[in-house]
Amino acid sequence: MDSAFAIATQGLTKIYRSRWTGREVHAIEGVSLQVPRGTIFGLLGPNGAGKTTFVKTLLSAVHPTAGGALIFGRDARIPDARRTIGYLPENHRFPTYFTGAGMLDFYASLSGVETVRRRTLIPEMLELVGLRDWGAVRIGKYSKGMLQRLGLAQALIHSPSMLILDEPTDGVDPVGRRQIREILTRFESQGVTIFINSHLLAEVEAFCREVAILHKGKVALTGRMQDLTAGKGYRLTVPKPSDALTDALRLRAASMAARNGLLDFQFATRELANEAVDLLRAERCEIEALAPTTSTLEDVFVRTVEK
Amino acid sequence: MPVTLALIRDTFREALARKIFWGLFALSTLMILFFLFVLKIDIVQGAVATLSVFGNAGPRGSQPVEQLVRGVYAGIATFLYTWGVFLSVFASAGLIPSVLEPGRIELLLSKPVSRTHILLGRYLGNVLVVSSNFIYLVLGVWTILGVKTGIWSPVFLVSIATTAFIFATLLTVVVLIGVLFESAALAIMVTVALMIISPIVAQTNIMLRLLSSEWSRRLWQGIYYVLPKVWDLGRMTLNAIQDRSFSGFMPIWSSALFGLIMMGIALRVFSRRDF
Repeated sequence: MDSAFAIATQGLTKIYRSRWTGREVHAIEGVSLQVPRGTIFGLLGPNGAGKTTFVKTLLSAVHPTAGGALIFGRDARIPDARRTIGYLPENHRFPTYFTGAGMLDFYASLSGVETVRRRTLIPEMLELVGLRDWGAVRIGKYSKGMLQRLGLAQALIHSPSMLILDEPTDGVDPVGRRQIREILTRFESQGVTIFINSHLLAEVEAFCREVAILHKGKVALTGRMQDLTAGKGYRLTVPKPSDALTDALRLRAASMAARNGLLDFQFATRELANEAVDLLRAERCEIEALAPTTSTLEDVFVRTVEK
Repeated sequence: MPVTLALIRDTFREALARKIFWGLFALSTLMILFFLFVLKIDIVQGAVATLSVFGNAGPRGSQPVEQLVRGVYAGIATFLYTWGVFLSVFASAGLIPSVLEPGRIELLLSKPVSRTHILLGRYLGNVLVVSSNFIYLVLGVWTILGVKTGIWSPVFLVSIATTAFIFATLLTVVVLIGVLFESAALAIMVTVALMIISPIVAQTNIMLRLLSSEWSRRLWQGIYYVLPKVWDLGRMTLNAIQDRSFSGFMPIWSSALFGLIMMGIALRVFSRRDF
């Protein structure tokens, strides 16, 4: 537990080979990623990017073809390294013969929580996720959102140092989502690392401190959320100017887009935006709007995967 | 140990929920009730004076009680060994593939438990579910017959061990097929096939005389030694119950070896699989 990183992978590669045809599918290729301790980290990527394979290699549910992964400095293949992990799978299938409390008891005992401790922890966890009155009910009767919250409770019950959550708010109503976010924020403040694999960009943007985008099995982008989305420039909106002026503005702009008879020029710096304003005013052209812009995570995501 | 116990308890819980445990328990209870209420034995001076079933008296005679009891023991042991094992394989074949279902196995693998531990815990739980029913049936019948006849021959209890042993051996095949193909139906087919061909393969003396070529005789012998000795172990159990001698323990150790190899392969496959 002395590593600075909760997760550190080096050249992680997984190639699936068809037993009969020998056809190869490169699910992830040379993924080297470092997740600092105590952060909330989002893993993004389009469908088939290799996100689930990556997560499964961390849990040793999938054996890498090459490379390796460390969990708090320990080889992820060692079962004991997983003692520090709480995991909530995406399409979980909890056995329906369990009651809520019975399920927590089972998974807590597998995580090494002692019997006496389980007796006090189980009601606490049920309370935490808003299922206090449902502990004795078979989980076959739970709604999707309740199952998700129960899954979160089983991931938390052994006080892990890191949570790996695969689509944690999938199927949860807005109130439940907020509740889950509040619970996770509380654990973040206690120093728990939270690793989220999600396709809900707005949620990742609002919640995660750092992010990585996987594309075609490779890390296409990684960085701090504020760096990726903050202060990306200025947008100048003008009625269509002359061709010569348009060319002059285009030379300075990072991008240009036309809409409803107006042109949007995107400038990377304030100086370039001011130069553009000077050019327009010199020609007595009108300015419809000038506004600083920030990239949304969606912009970053789309740009990254469309490269 | 707590982890092993948790895995065993989980298997029991699933067997109860799937009504497997209750089905086997109900069958055993029916047999016990038969001996408790339906079979009536009157004993006079150490011999059976009258034997009645559903109130209908059988032929009067002076059959020694011990002979009768051993006969009943042999009947129960045969039923348990054949139908009991068959039903148990049939009932529990789904307990291995169910744990490998997507969405369930990943969560199990995310816990600090080795794959070997998970599979062995599940296997052990399965054996205990079935064995507890064997124990219930045999002890129940043994107690009732003991009370009714005054004969408390412990040799009948051997059938618990041999039946549980052969079930445990055959269950390794179920486990291997389960981790390879995740198919309960295929596991049942292969295991029942092993049970069915066992009495045929066991006729080595006859087959060695009938087969014309040396290689075919060797092949037959090879198959006989490799496969679990379901038939031979059944014969051993009956011989023990009826106080007859049997030659050697080869069926036990070779079947155990078969089971160990199957389980070894299953563990190897399970530990290398991606989920």
